[in-house]
Amino acid sequence: MNDFTLDGVDNPAVLLTRSNARSNFNITRLKKITHVGVKSIFSHGLRSMLTVLGIVIGVAAVIAMLAVSEGASFEAQQQFRELGATNILLKSVKPAEVEESTQRGFGPPQAVVYGLTQADIETIRNTIPGVSNVIASRIVKKNVWNLGLSMNTDVVGTSVDYPSSRNYNIRAGRFFSESEVRDHANVVVLSDEVAGALFPIDNPLSQSIKIDSDYYNIVGIMESEGFSNLGQNQAGSSNSAPTRIFIPFTSSKSRFGETTTRQTAGGMESETVELHEAIIQVEDQETVIEVGEIIDQILQRRHRDVDYAIEIPLALLRQAEASALRDQIVAGAIAGISLLVGGIGIMNIMLASVTERTREIGIRRALGAKKKDIIAQFLIEAVILSGVGGLIGVVLGIIIPFIISTFWGMTTIVTPIAPILAFSISAMIGVIFGIYPSMRAADMDPVEALRHE
Amino acid sequence: MTIIDTSSNIGAVAPPPLAAGSMVASLKDISKTYYMGALSVEVLHGVSLDFYSGDYISIMGPSGCGKSTLMNILGCLDQPTSGKYFLGSEDTSEMEDDELSTIRGARLGFIFQSYNLIQQLDVLENIEMPLFYQGYTEAESHEIAMGLAARVGLEDRVDHKPFELSGGQQQRVAIARALAVDPLIILADEPTGNLDSKSGAEILNLFDELHTQGKTLLMVTHSDELAERSKREIKLMDGRVESDE
Repeated sequence: MNDFTLDGVDNPAVLLTRSNARSNFNITRLKKITHVGVKSIFSHGLRSMLTVLGIVIGVAAVIAMLAVSEGASFEAQQQFRELGATNILLKSVKPAEVEESTQRGFGPPQAVVYGLTQADIETIRNTIPGVSNVIASRIVKKNVWNLGLSMNTDVVGTSVDYPSSRNYNIRAGRFFSESEVRDHANVVVLSDEVAGALFPIDNPLSQSIKIDSDYYNIVGIMESEGFSNLGQNQAGSSNSAPTRIFIPFTSSKSRFGETTTRQTAGGMESETVELHEAIIQVEDQETVIEVGEIIDQILQRRHRDVDYAIEIPLALLRQAEASALRDQIVAGAIAGISLLVGGIGIMNIMLASVTERTREIGIRRALGAKKKDIIAQFLIEAVILSGVGGLIGVVLGIIIPFIISTFWGMTTIVTPIAPILAFSISAMIGVIFGIYPSMRAADMDPVEALRHE
Repeated sequence: MTIIDTSSNIGAVAPPPLAAGSMVASLKDISKTYYMGALSVEVLHGVSLDFYSGDYISIMGPSGCGKSTLMNILGCLDQPTSGKYFLGSEDTSEMEDDELSTIRGARLGFIFQSYNLIQQLDVLENIEMPLFYQGYTEAESHEIAMGLAARVGLEDRVDHKPFELSGGQQQRVAIARALAVDPLIILADEPTGNLDSKSGAEILNLFDELHTQGKTLLMVTHSDELAERSKREIKLMDGRVESDE
């Protein structure tokens, strides 16, 4: 009776082997703990939902904002590519003072002379190093006829390099040639849109259209240009690319002259413009912005009024990029704050849950749960909360940009990295904000916890 | 940080059956002093007791005599200030928190006055809980828990939640849970305190049954009726053993 040795009962060696045999059930344990966590979350459905809301909003905001700014920067880059990385665009702009004087004046209309000149172009071509080509264009608004069908278009008189300078390709036929330019030939290349409007059924190639009293042979049709309105809008011109047709520069000059007259509300308005726009191609992309500044200086010296606009797509891109970066920082900050708030919400609820379940903690401790078992239980619960919040947030974050695109026509791009990043951050928040409540739960004195009402 | 650790499940299985009469637990000169700031109160003054396999013990005494403190020490929920407590052959007095958790789960069964079942879990899951912390597989613990549910007469209630059961039924779940790991001692704290006399009698009958099957039972009670049924009555008075017969 008094013999205290219990042979074989608690032989440490035996116990060790048994414990090794049982050390491979981590998955089962995790499953069980997760199961308990899910149960306790569901037993407070509304509370859990409200808790999760913070994370949902945070994650959805991250993804949606990234998608919008990604879309914006994609659009900017797209436009930049269309305008050309090594191009500088020059446009003639009617100076403000001149506009006023013509409107106030009485008597016969006087032609207003403004804009870029052939001499400007020659100066740029000959004096600025790094300029590889200058493509000057004249743009005249005309009614263009194919039998009974007519359309008001911009007739662009330009040189043979125009398509290549703007990454603008021929869809059918060809652009006019060097010799046709030399000969002031009556040939025309239509934009895709004009071709479609004037020749709805038959093939326009080798047919002709009438401008004023002259007939022009159609030699080619351009590809659809899409929506590259950035350049036009920025330069303040109302010309929109799709309704353009192209004739040789020389033909434009000899058929239409340099002075155009049009009917306005206040009477006749007449203006003389030698060149409407010029594309200056620069050899090296690195020097584009510099060359642009030099051109601006030269033109300032040569022009009394500011009757031209200079536009550098690369500079615009840089601006767009800078503003996209700013947007992303703001978006990131907002998203970060909402995730932080969400995390605090989770911590708050977890602390409440720990207090509420003090007795359960006591019971579990009495029945053999170690501190780390308790930590695991509450931590997993916090991670489930934030993980579910994160998942809902990801779904919303993908749907919201889709809605924005559909209803507001903005380009949005959800890159795969955004949902992954946002979800991982939300799961991490669950861990970070779950640690403190879990530790509190684990550090409770089992005796006290069991006594808790 | 490893969240889940299964590496140190000492006592992952119940010890081999003991010959009736061998020692299962021994308190050697246990003292417990509580400190509250400058004030110190000694609740137990050198309690020495030995418990043997198959014992059916009741501990009685007025409130404040140190019953609860003794129970907490026996349950490895609290550590004595001085003295040694052997559970099986293991000295628990120097154990770390994790070891205490493990030995509680592996060697002891708890029955509480207020049942202390976990409300979100059903009957079966409640019974399985100590097994889970000992690292039993799902299949093993399911089998054991089903067997025990049948043993306490609740085999048709295994998927009920505690709040769907009567007090007597809840206490029977708690008994099944206490039996799950086949502990060295079952510690019961006022097991019939919250029950009407009929359910209380059922529980006591169950205890008698367990006793005849060779389980070691130790209960703290105020009730003379309970003490009568036990085979060994220990009376505590002011932190000392007054009688042990």
